Amino acid sequence: MGILSVITFLPLLGALAILFIPKEQVKAIRATGILAALASLAASLYALTSYDPGSMAMTGLPIQFVEKFSWIPSFNIHYHMGVDGLSFPIVLLTTFLCFLAAVYSIGIKERVKEFYFWYLVLEVGMLGVFCALDMFLFYMFWELTLVPMYFLIGVWGGPKKEFAAIKFFLFTLFGSVFMLLGILALYFQTSPHTFDMLEMMSAAASGAFPREFQIIVFLAFWLGLAVKVPAFPFHTWLPLAHVEAPTPVSVILAGVLLKMGVYGILRISFSILPAGYEWFLPYMAVIAFINIVYGALCAMAQTDMKKMVAYSSINHMGYCLLGMVAVSATGFNGAVLQMINHGLITGALFFLVGVIYDRAHTRDITAFGGLGARVPVYAGLMAMTCFASLGLPGLAGFVSEFLCFLGAFDKWKLFTILSVSGILVTAAFFLRMLQKVFLGPLNEKWKDLPDMDLRELVSVVPLAVLMLAFGIWPRWVLDLMNPTMTVMAKMFPGMFALVR
Amino acid sequence: MQGLSIPQGLNLLIPEFGLSVMALALMVLDLFFDAKRGKALMALGFVAAGVALGSLGLAYNAPEAYQGLGALWAVDPMALFFKAIILGTTVFVLMLSIDYKPASELRHPGSFTALVLLSAVGMMLLVSATDLLMIFLSLELVSISSFILVGYERRDLKSSEGAIKYFLFGAFSSAIFVYGISFIYGALGTTHLIDIRPLLGEGPALMFLVGCLFLVVGFGFKVSLVPFHFWVPDAYEGAPIPVTTYLSIAPKAAALGVMARVFNHLIPHTQLDMQTLFAVLAVATMTVGNLTAIFQTNVKRLLAYSSIAQAGYMLIGFVTANQLGREGLLLYAFVYVFMNLGVFTVAMAVGNEDGYELEAFDGLCRRNLGLSLLMASFLLSLAGIPPFAGFIGKFSLFAAAVKDGFWWLAVAAVLNSVVSVYYYMKIAYHMFFRNPRTLEPVRTEILVTGTLAVAALGVVVIGLYPEPFIAMAHLSTEFLPVSVPLP
Repeated sequence: MGILSVITFLPLLGALAILFIPKEQVKAIRATGILAALASLAASLYALTSYDPGSMAMTGLPIQFVEKFSWIPSFNIHYHMGVDGLSFPIVLLTTFLCFLAAVYSIGIKERVKEFYFWYLVLEVGMLGVFCALDMFLFYMFWELTLVPMYFLIGVWGGPKKEFAAIKFFLFTLFGSVFMLLGILALYFQTSPHTFDMLEMMSAAASGAFPREFQIIVFLAFWLGLAVKVPAFPFHTWLPLAHVEAPTPVSVILAGVLLKMGVYGILRISFSILPAGYEWFLPYMAVIAFINIVYGALCAMAQTDMKKMVAYSSINHMGYCLLGMVAVSATGFNGAVLQMINHGLITGALFFLVGVIYDRAHTRDITAFGGLGARVPVYAGLMAMTCFASLGLPGLAGFVSEFLCFLGAFDKWKLFTILSVSGILVTAAFFLRMLQKVFLGPLNEKWKDLPDMDLRELVSVVPLAVLMLAFGIWPRWVLDLMNPTMTVMAKMFPGMFALVR
Repeated sequence: MQGLSIPQGLNLLIPEFGLSVMALALMVLDLFFDAKRGKALMALGFVAAGVALGSLGLAYNAPEAYQGLGALWAVDPMALFFKAIILGTTVFVLMLSIDYKPASELRHPGSFTALVLLSAVGMMLLVSATDLLMIFLSLELVSISSFILVGYERRDLKSSEGAIKYFLFGAFSSAIFVYGISFIYGALGTTHLIDIRPLLGEGPALMFLVGCLFLVVGFGFKVSLVPFHFWVPDAYEGAPIPVTTYLSIAPKAAALGVMARVFNHLIPHTQLDMQTLFAVLAVATMTVGNLTAIFQTNVKRLLAYSSIAQAGYMLIGFVTANQLGREGLLLYAFVYVFMNLGVFTVAMAVGNEDGYELEAFDGLCRRNLGLSLLMASFLLSLAGIPPFAGFIGKFSLFAAAVKDGFWWLAVAAVLNSVVSVYYYMKIAYHMFFRNPRTLEPVRTEILVTGTLAVAALGVVVIGLYPEPFIAMAHLSTEFLPVSVPLP
């Protein structure tokens, strides 16, 4: 069994173990859950030591840790796992965030057993999506994330949890069933019929898919992937789901689940359907612009901190889209780095919002004031995360946003210039929030507010450290992905022949 | 044919004969057993069905002796596959019946068992039949025993109401079916389906086509295709729940089996230009089934509409009629046994104490976490969410549609799966999100637990490792006679 299967299925082992622990033994359940997530993280870090970012990139995608077994020969389906510079950083992000959120989940008091069970199953699904190189397997894992998320939002969520849960489920499923049809169409178009992504890529490179076919299938995939990104106009489930979900689940939703969409666009839509991708580029540029500006403006209009962070996610995923329309190594690097950074930063933001909500039972920006002196550690971490999110140089967010804009400017000058205004709005709403919550006279109501405890620090501080580290020396991440991105950007030399 | 002669291929029907004899014997024995010992009769029926199921293995082992073409019937891999489904369902339904009620409340357990066995015999003959009269007779055998089974709870008004509705619809559709046969006989002078195709000549005569349409009505009633489905919710709601389980699986599979034999093989619907008609029927069935299910508050009715919708999905394989479609139909029918058996068994375990309104499921996860997780997996399987078996079934059906370029059919089907998630998750919502009315744990009897274990195993194993089952479906797509003479 290869290392990727170990990383992916360790949480499943934990989930099954939890089923056998009596529900009264809450501590044992928590320990098992956290240990399973930790084991998966350790395995992924172990894989990092032997990961080789570049040397194979001369001949094609540097796919590593490959596992390939025949699974359903009747449909030529394989259990095919492997990672390259596109997926491996996201796998690391996933195991890392899942561990931190598992620690934070100690705060969950009700129905702990079920919580950790669903939580670990969710982790399996997410990791599988990023490792799978067979379309069928990919789809299985993709759907596997739906059900646990439905329960995690629906049982442990806020006041409108049931509606948020089913809306999330139906929205995502609506998109993904069209993706399934797209997968089937690709299967029957290849000869011999295959679900293997790498074989599909070489089929695409040899022109096996006509342009019209690619456009239709691209749209089918877009429905599935854009819902997850979420790209305008499929974003409406996001604010609801993020706000209603319990804190650790919001972190996973924003930190990892959204990345499945962007990852899918790069891995499938771009690599297998280049002509469809090329045809869609102008529209994608418009959508990126709308996501950036509209997301930021919506965030500006919120008084609920969690809702504000949720809308800021839409804005940040817009940067990813902008990086992808560049179709250059710079843009792709920016997009993938932005995914990682957004995972770290927005994950931290959701943790921090959860911290204050647990204490004050409100997230209304206007209900606070002058907390900076009362809870200095919290205020410091919050300020730093907000600065990272709004793109302050020296912190992680700046680097990736800069790369996205730099890449896109080459080909889409108008939309890039328009999108820059989004940064301005982002800065405005974060600064306004900081000002209202932490500055000014102390609101007497909160004079006894305690600062962060150990559990919360363990969850947030590692993220803050990485934000700073990646802001100063982004090459730690970029070196992992750059060779892959360079190969991908050169994969289809004819790109832009038609749209320009 | 002169004098008395033994029809050709009578030996092929040994399982059917055995079961019929057993059923009649049970009816007689019923007179001598009081209610307390009545469960022994059910157990006897259960064993008989099990033995018959085992005897099918003979037919697989020695195809030259036990498979072949009879006078009015054909025992081929396709028929055997459906017979296995029917008998498997019968076995489990009888198991459920034993635990359904305490012995003191049983009424005529022997007759009940006999009726279940007789309708199973009818279905087994149905999937083998190659002659319209044979089809009609077996359909009637199934229908009449089912009418009585639905109305078995004599004192329960709903049960009687369901039985009456079922009977009226059934009688009506039988009449139309016979009428159709008379048209076909009028047009071609034979009811033997193997002889019909060579007679079609240049193009099918109008009278023949009308006859075929009438046949569709008869089949549609059994499969519960829209618009012949109106009896379904009432009959399902009124019937004792083991009977509901039975009705939702076996007759549907059997009728689909005979439809596949008639319209995919002997007189292919592609030659009759009826492919679009069936595609429209499929879309109507799943859409109406799903959209109506959303508004149900009674579990039995909800599952009734869900089973209508499920029939619509299965029809996709019948519509496309390619090899992949046939495999999809068989695979889905096979998977459907496990998942539907599962949901109904959980519904029985919960509903026996608390009634069949959705509120009975409130907070089930705190009363019995295992039961609610099992229910969730059956529901997700029905909705076609991986990694459960239902997904594999839908996957092969959708693949068949995509392969033949039936895009609108595939799109309608996937959209329907999305809709279905809403009401399947409604049950999950009651189980996991609502607070229980009592914290008293739900207990399951041993046979119920066994049925659940089998169903769960099926749903998970086929979902994760479908290859042997796909291969089995692949091998079971053969019809006899292998080639029907062309005009």
